[in-house]
Amino acid sequence: MRFYLQKIGFYVAALWAALTLNFVLPRLMPGDPVDIMLSKLSARGPVAPETRRSIELMLGVDSDESIFSQYASYLGNVFRGDLGVSVTYFPQTVTDTIAATLPWTIALMGIATIIAFVLGIVLGMLAGWKRGSWLDNLIPVTTMFQSVPYFWLALVLLYIFASVFRIFPTNGGYDVYGTSPGLNWPFISSALYYGTLPALTIVLSSVAGWMLGMRNMMVSTLSEDYILTAEAKGLTPRRIRTMYAARNAVLPSLAGFAITLGFIVAGSIVTEQVFSYPGIGQTLLSAVQNNDYALMQGIFLVITLSVLGANLLVDLLYSVIDPRTRARA
Amino acid sequence: MHLTTTRRRPRRTLALATALAGTVLALSACSGGGAAGGGGGNTGDGITVFNGATGNIAENWNPFTPTALQPTLGIIHEPLFYYNLASSDAPEPLLGTEFSWNEDGSQLTVTIREGVEWSDGEPFTTEDVAYNFNLRRETPEFNTSGQTPAAEAISDTQVVLTFDSPASYTQEANTLGNTPMIPQHVWEAKSDPVTDINADPVGTGPYTVGSINAQTYELEANPTYWGGEPKIPTVRYISLANADAASSALLAGEVDWMSSFFPGFEDLIASEPDLAWVNTPALTTSLFTCSNAALGCEGPQTDPAVRQAIYYAVDRDQLNNLAFEKVAELPSPTLLIPGRDDQWVSGEVEATAPSGADVAQATQILEAAGYAKGGDGIYAKGGQRVSLNVQVVSGYSDYIAAIDAMTQQLAAAGIELTSSQVAYNEWSANQQNGTFQLSMDSIGLGASTDPYFTYQPRYATESTVPVGESAGALNNARYSNPVVDAAVAAAGSTDDDAVKAEQYAIIQKEIARDMPYIPLVISSTLTEFNTSRATGWPTEDDLYAFPATWKAWDNGIVLKNLKPAN
Repeated sequence: MRFYLQKIGFYVAALWAALTLNFVLPRLMPGDPVDIMLSKLSARGPVAPETRRSIELMLGVDSDESIFSQYASYLGNVFRGDLGVSVTYFPQTVTDTIAATLPWTIALMGIATIIAFVLGIVLGMLAGWKRGSWLDNLIPVTTMFQSVPYFWLALVLLYIFASVFRIFPTNGGYDVYGTSPGLNWPFISSALYYGTLPALTIVLSSVAGWMLGMRNMMVSTLSEDYILTAEAKGLTPRRIRTMYAARNAVLPSLAGFAITLGFIVAGSIVTEQVFSYPGIGQTLLSAVQNNDYALMQGIFLVITLSVLGANLLVDLLYSVIDPRTRARA
Repeated sequence: MHLTTTRRRPRRTLALATALAGTVLALSACSGGGAAGGGGGNTGDGITVFNGATGNIAENWNPFTPTALQPTLGIIHEPLFYYNLASSDAPEPLLGTEFSWNEDGSQLTVTIREGVEWSDGEPFTTEDVAYNFNLRRETPEFNTSGQTPAAEAISDTQVVLTFDSPASYTQEANTLGNTPMIPQHVWEAKSDPVTDINADPVGTGPYTVGSINAQTYELEANPTYWGGEPKIPTVRYISLANADAASSALLAGEVDWMSSFFPGFEDLIASEPDLAWVNTPALTTSLFTCSNAALGCEGPQTDPAVRQAIYYAVDRDQLNNLAFEKVAELPSPTLLIPGRDDQWVSGEVEATAPSGADVAQATQILEAAGYAKGGDGIYAKGGQRVSLNVQVVSGYSDYIAAIDAMTQQLAAAGIELTSSQVAYNEWSANQQNGTFQLSMDSIGLGASTDPYFTYQPRYATESTVPVGESAGALNNARYSNPVVDAAVAAAGSTDDDAVKAEQYAIIQKEIARDMPYIPLVISSTLTEFNTSRATGWPTEDDLYAFPATWKAWDNGIVLKNLKPAN
């Protein structure tokens, strides 16, 4: 029990630190949202000196409030679940903005990350089991895909498959012309179709890491004494491979996987830029470009919570899977 | 026992994760807005527009908010008159048919079009017009000009707008051309007009809202539009991440109308028979200088001689070739647009800036001002070298290429130019607070083509503040000149074009000498069309509207002029 209390206490402290950083960092950026809005408006039409005041009133940007009282009300609002109103998407609330974009990111990045992990682990296990096979020789090829900068790989695949061969669409999350979002098959199939190429690039660029790690762990596990024992007992090779070798070899990868899950939200910016995918990464980018404090805080909060949550989950799960990690007090 | 339970766990976790991901995808489907519709668009009779929107689309049709979706202005809610910034023509009547000023310029009487209906079937009346102006005037959040007139409907066809001060002629374009008309019977019922997103907007414009979600929205032709139902049944707006995505969507035939610059556009468009483009240069790319030492500016550029020297030392033809794809045009030292604004340009200043570099002239100006060339080939005076830093937004590739070229051009005239690439936010903050020496920017569009809207915000003392305070998007050069101030005030208080022209001539003489904004080129504003689904787009010969997709009011004019291609 004390183990779990300690863990949870640590996460509460980490959450507070992260929330504070979320508050401070956006405010260290140069410029303020009203100036940026004015500067954008002025390129398209006239701006009067009085415009500044009217926009300040509308957005509720009260520059007189002290930074400490802003901080206090920010913390209070976060715990009430009120993330404020976005400046970029005024008058939409930050919660609504996140709710509209987060599912796309989680669906695309989540599925792609899981596919990459499963594929990498299975291939790594087989490669480690049969060293020197063709599968083992595949590893350098996949490592090459990982070593190419991700945005470059994505752009090249986009060019080949969407511009030259036109197998996949060039942009978007679904066919905006023929389908409308909802629980209907045309939309879901179109969303899957539009997500295939982005997902493919993510899988291609990340599968090598899992595969290499799993293969090497597999190799070292296979030299353990208990594998020899298992063989001596006459167990089938398949049982030894999965239940004795792979199960122990996968432990480090599993921890890495949980941490990767936490970074899904943060890691989606490049993918979404290249494929014009309607996720939270693009929203974060426009929040930063517009000095939209509330929206930035909201998205950072989502990232913070997902990273902390994933870590907590791993911590707790790990102690179940691998009893050795439980602290002996 | 222990073995069996843990054996299954990993598998179950994975199955759960997959199921979860599936649910999330389904959820994302629900959160999309749930509006019915779709169809049409790329495969049907409609057209698709990319207006520069990136990322998530948030529904907001509230014309008072600066974040409203762009079709709110001009397509759904129309103004009384339309001011075409691509020509010098008189304003075109829309919901208003005539207007006249009273003797002292404090009252504007507007006659409205009869027989106009809101899209919900109610008649459009003078009471609606009066309600519009009075709501703006009484709500500080909406009173963006600070000078919204009080309005009174004096009959079924006429409204009188009363300004707070006489000679309010400069408010005309903003009042008549920049004020969207909203229906009183709908807006009266809104509890908080400031944060209302005005869902299902009721307007008089050629299109109404069909469906919307976070990725796209579709407008439908308004069957009861006073000018006749538009010929293009649906118009879809999409959001794309960047200009690369836009250009590939255009080439793939997925977008019919957009305004983006992309490298090599001329050849790419020429290779597709259905695509066409038009260039409407209207924004003068200039080196903004922090010009006024008295207000806190620091650096060699506070000396007008240095600014003059830069003006002559720049080789604009080379800039056009190297950085602007040969579609930019020569600017005027008056900061007006040659051609469109010729009637306002006095003969006392050069009609356009020199196309090539005039190094002799530049060095002569510097030497006459007491500068001497140092051992490093750079001019200096009183120990201060003529070395300037120019700030530019990182990623603005044409501006960066232009700065690279200028660095060499100016070095030939003994002026050192260094550059710093910064994020948009920092660039904008520096410029507005005056913490820069030179800054690459362009002179934006005004409410009408009257030069007042170029001169008053950019050059008048009343539009600026000392360095360290934000000048908004106004006189960022911190220029202050009593002669210009007097002329701006005089031009702003008359309705007589001859008097205005006289005053503008005074301003032009001053600013051509002082050069707080050093004009480089008039940048292209490229707009690309796909003619396979719709025709009737603006052309170089018939600029009935400013064709750029980001230009609010003009979009409505363009859309109602389009016809299906076959």
